[in-house]
Amino acid sequence: MERKIGETLLSVDHISLSFGGVKALTDISFSIRKKEVFAIIGPNGAGKTSMLNVINGFYHPQEGEITYKGVHRKQMRSHEAAVQGIARTFQNVALFKGMSTLDNIMTGRIIRMKRNIFWQAMYLGPARKEEMENREFVEDIIDFLEIQAIRRTPVGRLPYGLQKRVELGRALAMEPELLLLDEPMAGMNIEEKQDMCRFILDVNDQYGTTIALIEHDMGVVMDISERVVVLDYGKKLADGSPDEVRANQDVIDAYLGVPH
Amino acid sequence: MFQAFFVDPFVMIYDAPLFFVEVLVSGLMAGVMYALVALGFVLIYKASGVFNFAQGAMVLFAALTFVGLWELGVNPWLALILAALVMIGVAFTVERVVLRPLVNQDPIIFFMATIGITYFLDGFGQTIWGSEVRPLDIGIPNEPFMDLAEMTGLYINKFDVFSAVVCSLLVALLAGFFTKTKIGRALRAVADDHQAALSVGIPLKTIWTIVWSVAGIVGLAAGILWGSKLGVQFTLALIAFKALPVLILGGFTSIPGAIIGGLIIGSGEKIAEVYWGEAMGGAIEDWFAYVVALIFLLFRPQGLFGEKIIERV
Repeated sequence: MERKIGETLLSVDHISLSFGGVKALTDISFSIRKKEVFAIIGPNGAGKTSMLNVINGFYHPQEGEITYKGVHRKQMRSHEAAVQGIARTFQNVALFKGMSTLDNIMTGRIIRMKRNIFWQAMYLGPARKEEMENREFVEDIIDFLEIQAIRRTPVGRLPYGLQKRVELGRALAMEPELLLLDEPMAGMNIEEKQDMCRFILDVNDQYGTTIALIEHDMGVVMDISERVVVLDYGKKLADGSPDEVRANQDVIDAYLGVPH
Repeated sequence: MFQAFFVDPFVMIYDAPLFFVEVLVSGLMAGVMYALVALGFVLIYKASGVFNFAQGAMVLFAALTFVGLWELGVNPWLALILAALVMIGVAFTVERVVLRPLVNQDPIIFFMATIGITYFLDGFGQTIWGSEVRPLDIGIPNEPFMDLAEMTGLYINKFDVFSAVVCSLLVALLAGFFTKTKIGRALRAVADDHQAALSVGIPLKTIWTIVWSVAGIVGLAAGILWGSKLGVQFTLALIAFKALPVLILGGFTSIPGAIIGGLIIGSGEKIAEVYWGEAMGGAIEDWFAYVVALIFLLFRPQGLFGEKIIERV
């Protein structure tokens, strides 16, 4: 099936980020188009996670500009990014460990719940109805991710692969337009990786969510993404389709290597 | 010895059951007051995973502000509202000046910061309002219900009942608010992981300001009730220490836990004092709560209702 890839959703222009004397990102520009699966790859320490942190407003770059949905900004703010439809997962799984799977995913609905504090305090009428509606939405996500059985389990008790899935569920609950996935398959076995790939492609397919992911498994990256950008030492080496990137000499030297 | 510990007290209870009920009730009432102070701690602990050392100072500061305004001739109801607004102001300032620069730091860093807030509030409050003991009379007589006493022979203090009612109302309101709503969920999320909370769009600053405001207002209620018992003075800040055993018993994260813990400590120490005090040389009320807390730490460190600490390694 041919997916329709639209105009630019987010572009970063000449982004530079440094911590004191350490340059994490230098003059990075690329753009992510609507409905595509976009990958950021590169060796450890290349600045991939920093890049995601810039996009969702955890880090504020010293230079450059971020354009999201046509609005130019010097920097994103994390709360604003979430409200504007940017959701993310983390490299090291950042879930609310003491809370159940269900509650964790429900936190993703917080920005979609509009009733004000007084209705909330009363837990009456509209607030209760709203809670029900959101609960239904979350149940759909739980079905989609096939995690019905662990609905009530505190996530701290779950195995790593499932935690990653719950984290994806929480991001999906935000009904994001742009989903940032930081190494969604790190530490997973083959089967779990295949499941995760399927979920990512299904999300992209069914909801038309734009996806930007960081991943080290080249097989996965080249399979599922339409475009790839390669970072090394905070600089951009290349971007383009997986085939173009694979053929790029700089990328081979810095990252992919040659088969011996 | 055996007689004094294991026989006499129970004989006394059996001989005068009405007196036992009185002791129990007055203990429970005191317990509710402890619970009120403990509640302030729980709120902030739930929302930031931080033990707020400044809760006692907030109680003192709120009470001082209330009494100070009243003495200046402000209508007491207006003074109450103004004092509440001042506490909300404190919450905004704390969030802006202390918490915001510390996002994503370890809880211990926050804890140290709250010690700083304690010293500031203690000093600032007394600089503005002076350090002498101020009597506070909110018009509820400190006397038993005479009708009840005549009918049943049971002496129950009016002021105790009043404060118990106020506390129960506050507690019911807060418990509902923080467990049933999305704000409650947001609170727990913030306590668990700042960064993850930010990523799902929970406004950290707003949540912090809300809990610190609520903790400040709970502190105001506690300050007024305790202040009318003890007078508004520096020692008010020290009743915060009485909340510690309550928290250990009830669990740092549980609102109902704070209440039950308060009731157990309050009634336990009164009963221990009255019936076992003599056998142990008296004044055991002062340390009874801490010993109970110590025993709990040994056998059930998360408290009666606290969340069990689960860690996957």
